[in-house]
Amino acid sequence: MADQELTLLEQLEKESRAKQAKFIGGIAEKLGRKDIAQKPQHPFRGAPDFWNQLNWTQEEKIERFMDNWQSVGGHAARFQTMEEAKQFIVDRANEFGARHMIRQNQPELNELGLEEALPETDIRVWNSDPEEYWKAHAAGADIGVAVVDHAIAYTGTITVLSSPDKGRSVTLLPTVMMAIIPVERLKTRMGEVMEKIDGMRREDLPAGIHFITGPSRSSDIENDLTIGVHGPGIVYALIVG
Amino acid sequence: MSHGQQASTVKERSHIALNNEFLRKAVKFTTERLRNGKKKATEEHGNWEEWRERGRQIRLHTIAHLDYYLNQFVENARANGVHVHFAADGKEAVELSMKIAASKQTRSVVKSKSMVSEELHINAALEKMGIEAVETDLGEYIIQLAGETPSHIIIPAIHKNRYQIAELLSKEAGETLPADTSILAGFVRRKLREKFLDAEIGMTGCNFAIAETGSMVLFENEGNARMVSTVPKTQITLMGMERIIPTFADLEVMATLLPRSATGQKLTVYMSAISGPKRDADADGPEEMHIIIVDNGRSLQLGDPEFQELLNCIRCGACLNACPVYRHIGGHAYGGTYSGPIGAVLTPALQSNVAEWDDIANASSLCGACYEACPVKIPLHDMLVYLRNRKVEKGYGQTAEKIGMKGFAAIMSNSKRMRSVIKMGQIGQKLVARQGMIKTKIGPLKGWNSVRYLPSLPNQSFRERWGTLEQEVQASNPKMSDEVRQRMEQALEQRKNGGRHHG
Amino acid sequence: MKVSLFITCLSDAIYPRVGEAMVRLLARYGVQVEFPKTQTCCGQPAFNSGYWEEARESARTLLAAFEDSDFVISPSGSCTGMIQHYYPKLFEKDPIMIEKAMQLQEKTYEFTQFLVQVLGVKDVGAVFPHKVTYHPSCHGSRLLGIKEEPLTLMENVKGMELIPLPFAEDCCGFGGTFAVKMSEISAAMVSEKAQHVLESEAEVLVGLDMGCMMNISGNLMYQGKPIRVMHLAELLYEGVKQA
Repeated sequence: MADQELTLLEQLEKESRAKQAKFIGGIAEKLGRKDIAQKPQHPFRGAPDFWNQLNWTQEEKIERFMDNWQSVGGHAARFQTMEEAKQFIVDRANEFGARHMIRQNQPELNELGLEEALPETDIRVWNSDPEEYWKAHAAGADIGVAVVDHAIAYTGTITVLSSPDKGRSVTLLPTVMMAIIPVERLKTRMGEVMEKIDGMRREDLPAGIHFITGPSRSSDIENDLTIGVHGPGIVYALIVG
Repeated sequence: MSHGQQASTVKERSHIALNNEFLRKAVKFTTERLRNGKKKATEEHGNWEEWRERGRQIRLHTIAHLDYYLNQFVENARANGVHVHFAADGKEAVELSMKIAASKQTRSVVKSKSMVSEELHINAALEKMGIEAVETDLGEYIIQLAGETPSHIIIPAIHKNRYQIAELLSKEAGETLPADTSILAGFVRRKLREKFLDAEIGMTGCNFAIAETGSMVLFENEGNARMVSTVPKTQITLMGMERIIPTFADLEVMATLLPRSATGQKLTVYMSAISGPKRDADADGPEEMHIIIVDNGRSLQLGDPEFQELLNCIRCGACLNACPVYRHIGGHAYGGTYSGPIGAVLTPALQSNVAEWDDIANASSLCGACYEACPVKIPLHDMLVYLRNRKVEKGYGQTAEKIGMKGFAAIMSNSKRMRSVIKMGQIGQKLVARQGMIKTKIGPLKGWNSVRYLPSLPNQSFRERWGTLEQEVQASNPKMSDEVRQRMEQALEQRKNGGRHHG
Repeated sequence: MKVSLFITCLSDAIYPRVGEAMVRLLARYGVQVEFPKTQTCCGQPAFNSGYWEEARESARTLLAAFEDSDFVISPSGSCTGMIQHYYPKLFEKDPIMIEKAMQLQEKTYEFTQFLVQVLGVKDVGAVFPHKVTYHPSCHGSRLLGIKEEPLTLMENVKGMELIPLPFAEDCCGFGGTFAVKMSEISAAMVSEKAQHVLESEAEVLVGLDMGCMMNISGNLMYQGKPIRVMHLAELLYEGVKQA
């Protein structure tokens, strides 16, 4: 970082702190208070109570998730074992003639052995060498593979959290996204995922939490649905277990 | 400013829009599609009124304690490593953005859709500095190439057809592109990929900001907002100061209301919660992140009992899709950044300039469809009346209307005068009434009678007829059954014990 | 029990037949309506345009005229809505008048509300062998929540075919002074509404607000389309006479 930038940031930081009292104090004043309010009672937190009772059986969750994911144009499949899921990924990669793939650096994927099964394909492991430009690798990949952190049956949504081993780009930049969902991570409602996030300490939060519900889409040209505008246009949800 | 805004009044601008056949068809088609999508999605989800009420309560609560929650957000965002800035108005927000941009010596900025940035006209400021500002949402990109402004919150290029779009994109491509959606979108994908990789700075808006964690949340379908907040080294987020909600649990409610109300989706394809710049060991995400918290007229609504609820708005566009006026005139006729019913109230409210801006408050029949559609139950139809009232109380009423209303009060404050006026009408109309109709287009009847006929007044008004009618009815000697009597007495009783519930 | 008719200025001057139908229909249930002649207008034209002082002058005539009434019944969802929804606001700074405004708010009913909710009438025993379509006026249906009452009454009319109106809930473009001030937008709206009425192929258009009915029928007449436009009270009373 250049010196000049540092000075600017420091200067802006100083200005910000000086302005904060006036800005937020002004809000308090408009709301009829002399000082900033104390932590208020929060009586209507989150979804209505009746909603929080909703809990589907595992079979129901799987069925609803797959229906929802497919209804927005995603592909979904269910497997008993990771080995079956791997075979599916390998078959698709061969079918597409994938030359470049990228995958998260997750234990489940490290054990999968995709590299051995696809010797012709260049498979990169996210951030396995901090010196490389990983965003470019992801942008150049035909397929990105990730194991999701959570999935939500009610909306057909997967949730992925970023970390040094889990790039945000892996689920965003490749043409095809393959998301593996260990069945025990599949929840009924979004609220169940939110509860987990609310339960984390702020300092433990990842920089990026992404909820993904199908392929990238747009209807901006004459209401005509277009798939794959910026994000992946072909997305697979592979439920395992 | 641009297209459709040369005309100075909403009347003139709507005249232009009403004569644009393509525009009217396109707007009708799109709003119907979105409105039907919403209807289907809310019915399928069920208990919609409970969800609306919950959404409203969360927004009311947050805004009522905005000082606390905004402060909490700022502290947490800073702890996440975000540089937080405050901008009292659009000028300050632009200056802050420019300072950051200048320090990066960048040639281009990639932007994802943000209504706040439209409010600030930040693209023009960047261009002035020689920095290319690239809108990356497909619709926004199209209207940027056309040099126009969005005409719908959700579908910005609602007013363009595929041939116009093909022409715009062909110019950019340097070759003739066919008017085929997937080819056009494919071109934009490739073109913008280059821009993403080139840009030093990504600029986003902010749908929600979570106080407890200092996170900012983006809803989108294309993935461009994720690109903007993942690829460039620096992220600048422009955030309206009222975007706050307390927790992620509350985000579930907003995520239930917003996509369903906007497009009828269960959830947008991407919902991203970003909590600061990339962590040290992460290999993507911005290295530096700024959030500029913008007031720009918002605080004028705080503490104003008639307008504070405006800050509850979650920018879903459902009121546009429900509005019969928007349906016919489209977004540009409103003349401001925000269009439709929310724009008719928000634009003057943010400007605090009653005289100049309230003219769009007249572009409503007060039918209340906006209120019914609103996922957080903002009474926009009431606010429109309040705005009109403020204009009059501040003495900005039009002279002719003032005289008319004085006349109205003089007649209607006294039933005898009202009766004589009706009498005069009955006699006076003889010159123009034929077969129970008045067809003339002179004077005040011009607007009405250009597409309608006015019924003429019957020979006797009701009050003239009453004497005979009353006698006739009494002569028939009506008898009340016990059941009817009991029901009426019951209604009176109920009223005494805490009143009846009105619709 | 004193049941008073709030005729509304529009029905008083232009559609006295609506008031007459209401009075005669209610008489069949032994409800003798009285008509305080000092009433004028609810004040909505002035109120909606922002002229609240002028609206108050008009509104005061209603507060006085109906002071002793137990029930006030009106053939307009819009004018009833004005009393229900906005009178307390209009008089919020006047401690004496607000009391009266809230009393009037309590006892005012739109015609079908009174018939169905208070009297418990669901079937007036009418026969009306025609194809009919119904426009639910915005203020009645949205502000007052009158949705079921007219449908219940219409479903029980014998021989009548009730045809759904496409985009029924869309505003007809009347909006009081809106139709004059923003005449071009209003014209586009009413033309579309009339088009939907024609598409329904109904012989009769029925509603609960003569402002909207005057607007739509004005356009239908202008187009030379012979569709009969009536208030539901008229239809029910005519049907009762025929039965």
